[in-house]
Amino acid sequence: MSDVEAADGVRAKTTIDTWEDSLLKVRSLDAGYGDLQILADVDVDVREGEYITVVGPNGAGKSTVMKSVFGLTTHMDGRIYFEDRDITEMPPEEIITVGVGYVPQNENVFGGLTVEENLEMGAYILDEVPTEAMEAVYDRFPILRERKDQKAGNLSGGQQQMVAMGRALMLEPELLLLDEPSAGLAPDLVDDMFDRIDRINDDGTAILMVEQNAKEALRRCDRGYVLVNGQNRYEDAGETLLNDQKVRQDFLGG
Amino acid sequence: MGVSESYERGRDLFQSNPIGFVLGLAVVILVLDMVRKLVTGDVTVARFGLVLKAGVMRGMVIGLAGIGLSLTYSILNFANFAHGDYLTSGAFSGMAVSYLIAGNFGRDASIGALLLVGTGGSVFGGALGVGAVTAPVAVLAGLIVAGVATIGLTLLVDRYVFKPIRDRSGITLLITSIGVAFVLRYLILFVFGGSKRGVTAEQPSLSVGVPGGAVEIGTHDVALFVVAGVLMAGIHLLLQNTKLGKAMRAMSDNEDLARVTGIPTERVVRYTWIIGGGLTGVAGYMFVLWKGTLGFFDGWLLLLLVFAAVILGGIGSIYGAIVGGLVIGITFSMAPIWIPSAFGRAAAFVVMIVILIVKPEGIFGGTSTA
Repeated sequence: MSDVEAADGVRAKTTIDTWEDSLLKVRSLDAGYGDLQILADVDVDVREGEYITVVGPNGAGKSTVMKSVFGLTTHMDGRIYFEDRDITEMPPEEIITVGVGYVPQNENVFGGLTVEENLEMGAYILDEVPTEAMEAVYDRFPILRERKDQKAGNLSGGQQQMVAMGRALMLEPELLLLDEPSAGLAPDLVDDMFDRIDRINDDGTAILMVEQNAKEALRRCDRGYVLVNGQNRYEDAGETLLNDQKVRQDFLGG
Repeated sequence: MGVSESYERGRDLFQSNPIGFVLGLAVVILVLDMVRKLVTGDVTVARFGLVLKAGVMRGMVIGLAGIGLSLTYSILNFANFAHGDYLTSGAFSGMAVSYLIAGNFGRDASIGALLLVGTGGSVFGGALGVGAVTAPVAVLAGLIVAGVATIGLTLLVDRYVFKPIRDRSGITLLITSIGVAFVLRYLILFVFGGSKRGVTAEQPSLSVGVPGGAVEIGTHDVALFVVAGVLMAGIHLLLQNTKLGKAMRAMSDNEDLARVTGIPTERVVRYTWIIGGGLTGVAGYMFVLWKGTLGFFDGWLLLLLVFAAVILGGIGSIYGAIVGGLVIGITFSMAPIWIPSAFGRAAAFVVMIVILIVKPEGIFGGTSTA
């Protein structure tokens, strides 16, 4: 692979850097659904406390990367390690026990359960509801404390997203997987959501996020991956990708 | 002024929901007619009390049986047609134990005859004194065994029949469950025989005097009411207040999300069968104890009413099952006041269809309560 020629601006790397001490290591991953292969030879690293975004056009397989980490796809080749533990074919109910939390894109709350019950379900694997973790979630999202006895299905989209994140934070994961957290939010709420994600990251939780809203996501993250046709093309600091003429033109709409 | 206003309001109501308006009118007319019949003495208060009581009792049976069906529907996503024969299984296994204990373990009749619930007229429950007052231990033990045996049966069927095809469509599971229903029904016929038998002895009853006669409240009416009431309250508390109950509701909401949340879905499925099976077995036993007769077809016949109740209540909701059961039971029993009694069952289904026309998702539909 050669470096991409850019008319001006920075040149994004086309080699994908990997680190041996990363929290999450995805190595040469091939994965998909059933017989359908979506990902080919994907490498992704998330180091401790890092904020990583995966961007790319529709159908590039962004969500599939995330689902693969969480054991929701058909594994074909390659390995996934978390803290040097091979989690490649671990089922989700085990992966949450090693320190990975996952917030799916759609239908990510139990609508018929109250807010508090949703949070309790997030800590189902523990014998007792971790009151400290729940308080921390309420402190992070005060509106949820006010609404704790309401059915999650009756909340607004933004509040439901908070419930979904809160549920994933109940086990205090070291890595949080966020699938399109801004999807379906009213435009004026998107910034607020990104601010909240920043704060979760500031408190030490590493983030691996897939976002449609690529510019904003790249602006906020530490590093980004550009995924095209199930392969990662570029990897670099978010700002660098954002300023790269080629990346801008091809994937960020100019 | 007042008249024209209420006329206008009536017209608006009629235009916004004509079917509902007509049905509302029909209900009002029926209630007024009932009052008229009571006042003129066409129907005595005693008869009215009697059919209402019978309706409530039948409704409790249907509701209790419906909870199990609704639970498995909402969590496993299929309509289990074997449910009726689970009811029958509970009734036979429980009655076998009641006979055994009431028959003093073979001293009053041969063990075989007792265990086969008096197959072929070899022994009669009436002679053994089976009943909540005359043989409380036998009834209590029968009740417990009915629940436990049905739990065992449902787990066994799930392990070898439903679990291997859990990922298939609801239709596949439904058709499979019809097969299970046939196998169970005819196994029961093979083992216990096909005769419809009386299983209970005469029990004391309380006679409440009302104009035109008296309403008899029997021991088994009370027993059914208490058992069903306690179990319904229990399942409500379980679903709302326990970790398992919340997980069951979560799974009925969104199974994929439950899995990524870390809820052990297979274990929840197993508990669903345990709770659903236990309730079903107890419901079958109480049904038979209450009506006093037992036949291998009982559960299957009841299942149609149970389905009607569950669907009109809003399939998947246990509260819908209870309310639906009462609506169906009361309709079934009250209908003979107006139409020939042979049409009671038909009337129950007409009410179901009518309610579904007005509210297609059922009375409690859309609010998933597991």
